[in-house]
Amino acid sequence: MPLPLPPDQAPLVLLDLLYKLKIRDVMTPSPITVARQDTLRHAQTLMRENRVTGLPVAENSRLYGIVSMDDILRALESGWMDDPVERHMARNVVVLEEDMPLAFGASYFEKYRFGRFPVLDRNRRLVGILTSRDVSAAVLVELLQEFTRLEARLPPADAAPPHARQTTLQFALSPLDFERAGRASHEIKRALADLALDPRLIRRVAVAAYEMEMNIILHSKGGRLTAQIAPDRIELGARDTGPGIPDVSRALEEGFTTASDWIKSLGFGAGMGLPNIRRVSDEFSIQSSPEGTMVRSLVFVPPSPPSTSPAP
Amino acid sequence: MKLVELARELNAEVLHAGRAFEQAEVRSVVASDLMSDVLLVDRPAPLIVTALASDQVIRTADIVGAIGVLIVNGKNLPVNMRTLAAETGITLLRTSLPKFEACLRLGRALDY
Repeated sequence: MPLPLPPDQAPLVLLDLLYKLKIRDVMTPSPITVARQDTLRHAQTLMRENRVTGLPVAENSRLYGIVSMDDILRALESGWMDDPVERHMARNVVVLEEDMPLAFGASYFEKYRFGRFPVLDRNRRLVGILTSRDVSAAVLVELLQEFTRLEARLPPADAAPPHARQTTLQFALSPLDFERAGRASHEIKRALADLALDPRLIRRVAVAAYEMEMNIILHSKGGRLTAQIAPDRIELGARDTGPGIPDVSRALEEGFTTASDWIKSLGFGAGMGLPNIRRVSDEFSIQSSPEGTMVRSLVFVPPSPPSTSPAP
Repeated sequence: MKLVELARELNAEVLHAGRAFEQAEVRSVVASDLMSDVLLVDRPAPLIVTALASDQVIRTADIVGAIGVLIVNGKNLPVNMRTLAAETGITLLRTSLPKFEACLRLGRALDY
């Protein structure tokens, strides 16, 4: 079944997903297989019991071919159900590699019109199988998450008037995801610019948000960046799921770093992250344990001068 | 001095002409390869001079509201960098001059 996911015309949010996800994240791992000497009848039983329409022919993770429901139908018609699968399997199998972006997999369904592709690892060992159903399900799950995220940015329908409204922005951050690094703080900055706040204040919040975002991406197992924007204050929260900072007071010293050379080659890891966040914040707090780190930064918004407030 | 004139002064290629490129006036410069240091500098709309060719330079420029980014040493850019500059409206320049010399010329032109 071809997928309705033409990678060259998809909306950006979808393209992003298709490149971010790897085949490995989406495939069905350790697929059910048949051996070369198994009969087609045995293959048919396996397909029926497991509700699949095709089976890789493999032994000790080495892929030899594939049998599909079509092969079984042909065998039924021609009376060779007790032949070994080896005799009737497809040998020139189109395969995918687990490291490839999902975009590649999606384009294969379009290009070859097969229902499934065996997935191999770098050593050409069979590690999974990718069906169009796996792809649709994964894309749907990711899109739903994306929608939830976008929806969180919308004000509630019965919201109070703009000046009394509080907006919350929330972003999930994955470790070492450099392609997206900086996006969350960019969006927070944009939301503040929309409110026409003092540029210096926007910059302070943006710097804190960016350092928090990079900390999660560079040093944690993943986490969440939250911005609560109220008329009188902007509160940022960074919460991750570990591994924690062994010595928080040292991490707050300027120049103390645990970053690898690789992180440094990206222009980070100078040991300025936490000190920078503290410098731009009116209030700052940090708690850390092996289960995770929570950093909070508060910036107060001074009341606007009387000349700019609306006449009574 | 105008950013356009400075670009000419440093034989810089304009890889992306960002917001108000023709009018932009350079009032301050930050030269560093460490983005954390750039984030520390508290000057409005600086020009960032750096030998670091990474997407994070554009992100940082966006965060601090930089007027533009000048890549020195004629560094090759990661494929994404130009797209990101276009998305964020940051002017992206590149010169083959080494960083010291680029800074020297900038200093002279800006009467530092």
